[in-house]
Amino acid sequence: MECIITIELGTNAVRIYAFDLNGNSIGSLKGYCPTFHSEPDYSEQDPDQIFITMLNVLKNLLEDIIHPKRYKVLCICFCSAMHSVLAVDRKGTPLGNVITWADNRANWEAAELKNSTLGKKIYTATGTPLHPMSPLTKIAWIKNNENEKFRQVNKFLSLKTYILQQLTGEYMIDYSIASATGLLNIHKIAWEPDSLKFAGITSEMLPELVPVFTQAGKLKKAYQVSLGLSSDTKILVGSSDGCMAILGDGVNGNGMATITVEDSGAFRVMGDKVLQDEKQRIFNYLLTENHYVSGGPTNSGGVIFEWFTRQFGDFKNPFDLENSMIELINEGMKISPGSDGLIFLPYLLGERAPIWNANARGVFFGMNIKHEKAHFVRATIEGILFEIYSIGKTIEEHRTINNISINGSFGNLPFFTQMVADIFNKPVRFSRNYHSVSFGSYLLSATEMGIYKSIDDAVKSVVLTDQTTPDKLYHKMYVKYFKIFERLTSKLANEFADIASLQQS
Amino acid sequence: MNQFVLSHNSALELRLFPHILEIGVIKNPAIRLNGFPRTVEKGLKIYYILEGKFEWCICKHPFILYPGDAALVLPGSELGNPANVLEIGSFSWIHIQVGMNEREELVLGSWSSLSDSENQAMSKVLKMDHPPILQKFSDAGVLLKNIQTELTNQEIGYQARVNHLLDEIFIQVARQYTRISNPGRDFPKTFMKLEQELRRNLSHQWTVEEMASLVGLGTTLFNEKVKSYSGFSPLSYLINIRISEAIKMLKRPDINLTDIALDTGFYSSQHFSTTFKKLTGYTPSEFRKNHL
Repeated sequence: MECIITIELGTNAVRIYAFDLNGNSIGSLKGYCPTFHSEPDYSEQDPDQIFITMLNVLKNLLEDIIHPKRYKVLCICFCSAMHSVLAVDRKGTPLGNVITWADNRANWEAAELKNSTLGKKIYTATGTPLHPMSPLTKIAWIKNNENEKFRQVNKFLSLKTYILQQLTGEYMIDYSIASATGLLNIHKIAWEPDSLKFAGITSEMLPELVPVFTQAGKLKKAYQVSLGLSSDTKILVGSSDGCMAILGDGVNGNGMATITVEDSGAFRVMGDKVLQDEKQRIFNYLLTENHYVSGGPTNSGGVIFEWFTRQFGDFKNPFDLENSMIELINEGMKISPGSDGLIFLPYLLGERAPIWNANARGVFFGMNIKHEKAHFVRATIEGILFEIYSIGKTIEEHRTINNISINGSFGNLPFFTQMVADIFNKPVRFSRNYHSVSFGSYLLSATEMGIYKSIDDAVKSVVLTDQTTPDKLYHKMYVKYFKIFERLTSKLANEFADIASLQQS
Repeated sequence: MNQFVLSHNSALELRLFPHILEIGVIKNPAIRLNGFPRTVEKGLKIYYILEGKFEWCICKHPFILYPGDAALVLPGSELGNPANVLEIGSFSWIHIQVGMNEREELVLGSWSSLSDSENQAMSKVLKMDHPPILQKFSDAGVLLKNIQTELTNQEIGYQARVNHLLDEIFIQVARQYTRISNPGRDFPKTFMKLEQELRRNLSHQWTVEEMASLVGLGTTLFNEKVKSYSGFSPLSYLINIRISEAIKMLKRPDINLTDIALDTGFYSSQHFSTTFKKLTGYTPSEFRKNHL
């Protein structure tokens, strides 16, 4: 029997899945890796800790499940979070930690670009919103603030590049991860000279640019031995978690979109054209030469409801977040849509799409004397979904959407799926106990191996088993509240700036 | 309770308890100048406020103590009133001799029935950076009173009882601290604090009991939580950190393998080498050679 292994280097965890050639899951394991915040704006991870954790999880999966059942591993396909930057010296030794997508140290560099004609040019060429998340601004920050380190840098890698290089010795970056750096011209599929100049680097300081189907060399002998894998095991460069989530949900072309709600969230579509947004609100990432993944990310996903639960949940047992959340949700379900006039702006961590305002802050609006805790529960969840709806509406300015799929640990909660259907007034497809990102990587590998003729062919094979339909009446109510939500968000821009500056002082 | 003081160099009652340097209760009806000057002592002191309001300086920080509050003063820390005054009110206290080993851990001594690993875990908790005041901690008051009663009445078995009660005070103080610093809501944050503590003392031979006590959970629940959160048992998780730190050190040619092994918490270079090879496929020296 033969199998495919997918490795996701996610924000908080390494997740490894094994699939048989038909796409049935054989097993999965995860390992946690922490994010360090040595300064309030910093988010970093230890690249060697991620490497070791990945090896350890992989070894356990192989020894517990794959080898005992005598599966032959044909292919290992990688995928990772976007926007990470790791500086290495001439020998490939990391100069410090990996800077992750959540890091905001390059705020100033991003703001400088955003207000310039150069910025506009770079956004149009690269498809990456001008925001401190992008490696373009992070590298510029290192150049501007850590001169000594900058001079020692031989290459700037993505996290996935580093992990692959440890395993095979090759420095490679795939199209999709590269297209989220702000350094890649997504129309020409080549490094963008304007970006390189702004970052202060040359293309020799970046890894080799390759399609997602590329084999990243051979597994080093020592790893073949320690993992019990044969020398012909394919190591596929693979793609990004965002692109794999949409692939795994079978979303492609007009009419379809997908929502991911993990700690953070995103609304995405895929097609053969770039969505050019005058207001620079949308990202356009490249999966292959003719597949663009477009959409908007939000900071305000499940992490906001977790925050709420930590403050107001019961915690009958220590650290029992899950049951405390379920209890709160059960309370919130008793309240009618619109939370009887209580509206929540979920911007506790600032916001990305569609407002791209790091200073935005949370607001409960419309409180009256009859509101109870349950109203706050419901309003919090509605606020999180209103934010995603506002991204969806931005995308709909460019593309028609008839149905939506939803995935992610929060997205898959039943209460969430129904609310998404009602708010968007569209049918919502989903599958429980299904990990879209990993399945996307399986589809990518299966396409590379010839099991599917093409990406389009692979996408068509996806069946999400469940579907909820919208309640028209509820939709009408939500729309009334959403209008106020939208107006509040835009009206409070000045107050957001003022309160954020007080909070930072 | 009436006023009294027993001091180890004069009180016959403390003959069997050389580790109790002093125990007492004071009732002070009027302000006494120079009655409570700031001093530093070698032993560990626990105070419990019975009546009144006290403004004390502990380790140069001002604190206000009310009835029901307890204060923990570690060996070498300064305690006293900022103006050296003994204020009106009543409190009880105990002053205990504790040792310090080469790892700078507090060692209770042979009178205690805590095991070595429990003693280490306790020391970790007590020495963590938290305020010295435990508010509304009436358990401490009750325990101090019981010790005093035992010492006064000297009923059968009192020697064992007093030492048990001393252990009990330490256990309750440590548990109270872990409860305060980990309110049981935010596991990611708590786990991050643990991770940072592990990285700060990577060369230490951590036990699961010690780790669990830092998080304020019993070992069974701790194992379960860590496994479901991180995907690894606590000790496997620790090995991930050890090996990843070792990798960084191996890439610097100036540190020898034995030092790397000990600095990252392995018993020996042999133990380091076996674990490293099992996980990475390379021995540490092969790994280093490949990288140079």
